[in-house]
Amino acid sequence: MTAADVLTEPIGVPEPEPPSRDLTPRQWVRANLFSSPFNSALTVVIGLGAAYVLVRLARWAFVTADWAIVRVNLRLFMVGFFPVDQLWRLWAALYVLVVTSGLAAGALAEAARRVADGDAEPRPALPRRVLAALRRFWPAVVCVGVILSFTRTPGPTVGTVGLVAAGALAGAAGRRLPRRLQRWAWVLPIVGLIGALQVIVAGEGGVGWDRWGGLHLAVAATIAGTALAFPLGLLLALGRRSSLPALRLVSIVYIEAFRAVPLVTLLFLGGYMVGYLFPNTVDPPSFLVRAVIAVTLFEAAYIAEIVRGGLQAVPRGQYEAAQALGLSPVGVMRLVVLPQALRAVIPAMVGQFISLFKDTSLLTIIGFLELIEVTRIVAQQDAFRGQGLRPIALAFVGLVYWAGCSTMSRESRRLERRLGVGER
Amino acid sequence: MTDDLTTLATHAGGTGEPIIECAGVEKWFGRFQALKGIDLTVGRQEVVVVIGPSGSGKSTLIRCINRLEEHDRGRIVVDGTELTNDVRKIAEVRREVGMVFQQFNLFPHLTVLDNVTLGLRKVRRWPRAKAVEVAREMLERVKIPEQAHKYPGQLSGGQQQRVAIARALAMQPKIMLFDEPTSALDPEMIAEVLDVMRELARSGMTMIVVTHEMGFAREVADRVVFMADGEIVEVGTPEHFFHDPVEERTKLFLRQIL
Repeated sequence: MTAADVLTEPIGVPEPEPPSRDLTPRQWVRANLFSSPFNSALTVVIGLGAAYVLVRLARWAFVTADWAIVRVNLRLFMVGFFPVDQLWRLWAALYVLVVTSGLAAGALAEAARRVADGDAEPRPALPRRVLAALRRFWPAVVCVGVILSFTRTPGPTVGTVGLVAAGALAGAAGRRLPRRLQRWAWVLPIVGLIGALQVIVAGEGGVGWDRWGGLHLAVAATIAGTALAFPLGLLLALGRRSSLPALRLVSIVYIEAFRAVPLVTLLFLGGYMVGYLFPNTVDPPSFLVRAVIAVTLFEAAYIAEIVRGGLQAVPRGQYEAAQALGLSPVGVMRLVVLPQALRAVIPAMVGQFISLFKDTSLLTIIGFLELIEVTRIVAQQDAFRGQGLRPIALAFVGLVYWAGCSTMSRESRRLERRLGVGER
Repeated sequence: MTDDLTTLATHAGGTGEPIIECAGVEKWFGRFQALKGIDLTVGRQEVVVVIGPSGSGKSTLIRCINRLEEHDRGRIVVDGTELTNDVRKIAEVRREVGMVFQQFNLFPHLTVLDNVTLGLRKVRRWPRAKAVEVAREMLERVKIPEQAHKYPGQLSGGQQQRVAIARALAMQPKIMLFDEPTSALDPEMIAEVLDVMRELARSGMTMIVVTHEMGFAREVADRVVFMADGEIVEVGTPEHFFHDPVEERTKLFLRQIL
């Protein structure tokens, strides 16, 4: 121990403990729910109201409602009119996606751990990891559980359990990838997406995009729209802030034009009018391609504005410091400005993707069998017609949408915490 | 007097061999003229301290030297390279010139170590291991080797500014520009930054320092440049400047701040 250490060492005087703020459950209830007569009254009234609604809802869900309309038509909800003998393609595609993204997630997590080196905590034991995963994904777990409870054969359940296991194994494998390969892990999901698409459409009996429907269609359109609109939006945002007047003008005109038009209009244009632009000898692109293009063009304009907001939030000094270091204009953007700008707009960006997921229900107006359309069709089947059963089907679809949206928003909040948005 | 001033301003100190030459530099912001014909030559290993009231063009002058601002007239030559619109020339000059800002401008999304290695890895294209080695050396030099894995937001202002100095030094520049490096710091942190700068000056680095720290100017500067209203009013050694100023405006300024 050096002299300096002795001087700074406390001489047996214990540090004063900060006052404890922990409350016993009793104290908590008293402080938060019954702190004054008015609050007590409020608590009682709201509590009774909430209990009433919950009881009625539970009774409806578990006793009154006859879920046969969903059980019988489950496949229609999930995949529309996808040919039954080709369903294996969807399962295979799911496995491709889960394995590739599992590998990527494992590799990236391991790389992040290595960067943190000294202060990284050891990984918890398996049971705790499973619990953490359940907590993280509980809306999706609930939804998948409900869906599987409607199935009549063990196949889907086995397939789902297999998926989870495959994802976990791929994650473990990703952690063990050699370091040289881990750097390229971000390529894997892209390869996975292309692979999954090929599995579904390629070869004899492949199921073309125009025959997709149900949840499968919603998810596919969301992923395609996101994956295409993000890079386009990024370029537009950079274009709008470019020093080249022509580029700036094009970006501004594009962004303002597409933000001024409702998505429905674009879908109509894409669905019914683009065909006229093609000469008779050329087949116009398929309906879904046109729909995805319309969605992409629309979303890109919004994403461009979100990214622009992020770019504006990066102080001038950051550009100057990066330039002073000798970075090229591209380097300044890629290494210093964009990482900060994109980080700042994660919440807004995910919000945009969530609304895109919900907006896929608009595909119904150009004739796709998406989830809402399925509820209309099944309520008209001979067995269910005229019995007011559509709300039951809608409740099921609502659960599916909720699980998808809340999973996205929970993951975005997690990502924000991870990247330390709001610190500094 | 004007002749004397011209001689002093254009005669390089240090080793006497000029490394920065500004001749007739003018700069406008809209209709406002920020620099009105600056002639200044800085010698290799010389320490020049620029002082003057705010708005006098001190910062603009040194920002022109690494082209963060574009001068409208005149010539600026840095180590034999004249600054023009040629992007390659600008890149060349920026490789030779390190800069430290008033607001530190560390990259908040990168750790201290990544802040310091970024230039080496991405501009000089060094492998990471080699860059880290140099970065640790530089952090040692500014006396914060233990903070390497923290983020800038977790450091005090004085520590951040020392990291900023390490970041600039890692690129092994021939010239360091300091733009009011202690103006955003709490008083107790000013000393730690000035200490680092003092040692840097002693090691023979060519430095131009814009500052309000008169003690530092007196102790470390080879020459003091006093600017007002976009012009160089007076140039001299610290002794001359603080004890025997000639110009009325210099005397007035010194009376106000001392």
